[in-house]
Amino acid sequence: MTHELSVTAIGEDRPGVVAAITGALADLDANLEDTSMTILGGRFAMVLIVDVPDDVGPAEVEAALARPAADLHLDVSVHASDPSSTPTDGARHSVAVYGADRPGIVHAVARALADADVNITDLATRVVGGSEHPVYAMLLDVTVPAGTDVEAVEAELRHVAAALGVELSIHPADADIL
Amino acid sequence: MIRPVVMLPAPVLSTRAEEVTAFGAESRALADDLLDTMRASAHSVGIAAPQIGVGLRAFALDVTGHKKADSCHGEVVLFNPEVVLATGRDVGREGCMSVPDLTGDVARRTHVVVRGLDPDGVERVLECNAFEARAVQHEIDHLDGHLFLDRVVAADRVFPRRVYR
Repeated sequence: MTHELSVTAIGEDRPGVVAAITGALADLDANLEDTSMTILGGRFAMVLIVDVPDDVGPAEVEAALARPAADLHLDVSVHASDPSSTPTDGARHSVAVYGADRPGIVHAVARALADADVNITDLATRVVGGSEHPVYAMLLDVTVPAGTDVEAVEAELRHVAAALGVELSIHPADADIL
Repeated sequence: MIRPVVMLPAPVLSTRAEEVTAFGAESRALADDLLDTMRASAHSVGIAAPQIGVGLRAFALDVTGHKKADSCHGEVVLFNPEVVLATGRDVGREGCMSVPDLTGDVARRTHVVVRGLDPDGVERVLECNAFEARAVQHEIDHLDGHLFLDRVVAADRVFPRRVYR
């Protein structure tokens, strides 16, 4: 039998990071179930859900990753992962927010979405435009539950955006099956 | 006849399909199977022959009533299709009956002129835009052994597919 663990690693961005971490995992017979890897603020960040044999626990995986982590200056942590996600059934939408950078934009938008029971399924932010006129850009994928009035959610988001002085748009993101 | 839809990673989906050279009972039967299988999948607007396990250059398409459609030629079956003119560019989210669980953002031409043959071997030329143009390009990609996954605009533009019930 097998079970799932979560592995997170963040550190220097350079060639060989993915090869070293996944090599150590493959040596443990770990299967990569789901991964997300990207560069954040010049650091390489990875989150992996791995399926491992039952006799392999978080401590064994951390031990196996200790060498590549030290070589590549990565902070690694491994935890038991309970696949208890309850995906919301509903309509997918994409939300874009951009404007002058200031603290609290993500929170205000996320609070409004949470109050409407809208689930955020993906979120990425970037600060662009240089230090003199930094522009904050945020893209979200959200699921609006069945029965929720999308126009009411949009109106509330526009209200929040106006208070923050940022631009906001929301549009349906359902895929077409071809 | 409704045929089973072939799923990733079947080799027929990543192989260039062969030209159809003879037209008659067999090509009409293939056209009927494509239409029957497409109609049986209420959420799909098109299907290519490799998706029913047939490595021939043919597809069926029908964007009637689709909210993103502008041009609409109704039910179309085209053999040996080729794009003779393509302009514009737009990114849209696509899924595929042969790719379970995933969708992805793909850049396509917004206006295409496509030439091909009907099930009797008679030439047809279609001018398509908007959603019909996207669907034509998605189906022709199948005939060249390409899935939408081969064309996703960036690694972070692949998403879980909504479950259809």
